[in-house]
Amino acid sequence: MTAVVLDGIVLGLQFGLLGVGMTLVYGLGGVLNLAYGQMAVLAAMVVAFTLAVGAPALVAAGAGVLTAAAVGVVLDRTLMRPVYRQRGEHRVLLGLLLTLGVAFVIDGLLVWRYPTGTLRLAIGGEAVPILGVHMRVGSLWATGISLAVAALLLFFRATTPGRASRSVIQDEVGARLVGINPAAVRLFIFALSGALAGLVAETRSMTSPVSVTAGFDFTILALIVAVVGGLGSVAGAFLAGVLLGIVSTVSAYYIGQYITTIVLLAAAALTIVMRPRGLLGR
Amino acid sequence: MTAEPDAVVESEPAPLGVSARPPRSLIRAFWPIAVTGGVLALVPLWLGDSRLMMRLAVDALVFGAYAVAFNVIFGSTNQLFLCVGALAGVGGYTSVILSDMAGLPMAVGMVLATALAAALGGFLSWVAVRRSLDVIFTGIVTLAFSLSFANLVLGQRELTGGETGLLVSAGEDTFLRDRVAAYYLFLGMIVVFLVVFRALERSHIGWAFRALRDNELAAELAGVDVARHRIYAGLIGSAMLGLTGAVYAHSDGFVSPSTFEFGHVDVRVLVMLAFGGLGTLLGPVLGTVVFAVLDELLIGSGQLRTVLYGLLLIALFLGFKRGAVPAVASFLRLLLRQARFRLGRPPR
Repeated sequence: MTAVVLDGIVLGLQFGLLGVGMTLVYGLGGVLNLAYGQMAVLAAMVVAFTLAVGAPALVAAGAGVLTAAAVGVVLDRTLMRPVYRQRGEHRVLLGLLLTLGVAFVIDGLLVWRYPTGTLRLAIGGEAVPILGVHMRVGSLWATGISLAVAALLLFFRATTPGRASRSVIQDEVGARLVGINPAAVRLFIFALSGALAGLVAETRSMTSPVSVTAGFDFTILALIVAVVGGLGSVAGAFLAGVLLGIVSTVSAYYIGQYITTIVLLAAAALTIVMRPRGLLGR
Repeated sequence: MTAEPDAVVESEPAPLGVSARPPRSLIRAFWPIAVTGGVLALVPLWLGDSRLMMRLAVDALVFGAYAVAFNVIFGSTNQLFLCVGALAGVGGYTSVILSDMAGLPMAVGMVLATALAAALGGFLSWVAVRRSLDVIFTGIVTLAFSLSFANLVLGQRELTGGETGLLVSAGEDTFLRDRVAAYYLFLGMIVVFLVVFRALERSHIGWAFRALRDNELAAELAGVDVARHRIYAGLIGSAMLGLTGAVYAHSDGFVSPSTFEFGHVDVRVLVMLAFGGLGTLLGPVLGTVVFAVLDELLIGSGQLRTVLYGLLLIALFLGFKRGAVPAVASFLRLLLRQARFRLGRPPR
């Protein structure tokens, strides 16, 4: 049981980061980025490719994260322009449909070019006993990186760009009035979201292989976590991520994989119906 | 970074799709359906010899029926139901399980399956309305339903055959398995669906649909029961989806999760409808025909087809928010009016 819960926490921290990337972009302007998972998979494929040509692991990881962030930047500079010119429900709907299109383009190109592509970052070393459970080194690395990034995000909240981002999330017009440029903040958040997606793809691949077709699953997971945590709430996404991670491993261990997916989906649907602002949403 | 004029204040954006009033005269309202049905009825004369081509044509019509149904739900009342495939799947699997395993007559199975799909769709609609979910939350809830259904089908192996699917024995020795007959059956269903769509448009329900689509608050203030009409649309559209799924399952003789998969059905229906024009009578049919031809042309390109769909989705929603066909049609109308003007005849 301890082993299952610990695995759940390892998984949950990554769910949390995944959800943060989704929730930040939504909080900023109501765009649900359905190409999010494809950005993650793209990063994974870049890492696999750079490793294959013989680059050192750190360079490869950096290249993956940077690629995903670059996709975020390009998305914001091009397709999101007309989206942000719309308001309210139209903005939401247009953002949803355009990013769905982008998801299909990236997915199609990747699967077409690398039909069997997978990334598996094998990290060697003896299993380390924690609370009487032997944890694989890969899991520990993944957890360490997730925690470090989470701490960075917490620190970032207090910096000037962090405050600017939060003010735009709270009230766009108010932020403009005090001299913040929402377009610049959005660009930055899109890049950050991409980087997070890439990073999660890399930490995931330390414990289980990430295949080229996993994009849609990543998107759905991020969506579930973001919804349960409350769209727009970073702390909520983390909390929801860890909770759902534990629920997911426990349910997968005792009940089965298919039911687990249904449980996660039901959690999102019930959150929307019972408490639309999520665990910690405003 | 330079500050950009990123307009916060802008004129009220036009809604996606069109909400024009249908013609008042009975003939002008229904002749397009008759002509469409007539033209499509000629296809088997041309392709009837090739079993493969007829199979493709039948599949195209099934998607056409889905698109008309989705048009009732999304096009008329702006409820983003991302569970077209799942509702059709509920119809298909229920009907097959009832007739093959529970031993009920096929027709009874189909009716019950349709009723179940309608009830589920109506329920989803009711939840969305009761909790006043906006378009995005409706989308997420229905998407969750979609994926849950897919996982349920995969998990309940002894009932649904899991990933390998089920061979359907009900309907084996009937005309349903003949591709040409099946083609006419589905064409008949599309025509009936279109007639229902137009009849709805012309009734007081259609007035309510248009009102709540254009401006929900104004509609509510004018005395339109928005909730009730949304649920009507959910019920009717889902019944169409369930029936189509059930008939397709018996006619194809095989159901598997991929038949009703989200990525396979919903996205395609969305693109078809975006092309033809959301909320228009013949938009779904036009989208069906164009994409059937496109699919046939791209049959060898595999994954690149996915890329093309993505690009189309982007281009369509970026460029023609009312749908490509209505945009072209209004452009032609403009040209015609100018030509008339030059000829010295007063424009009508």
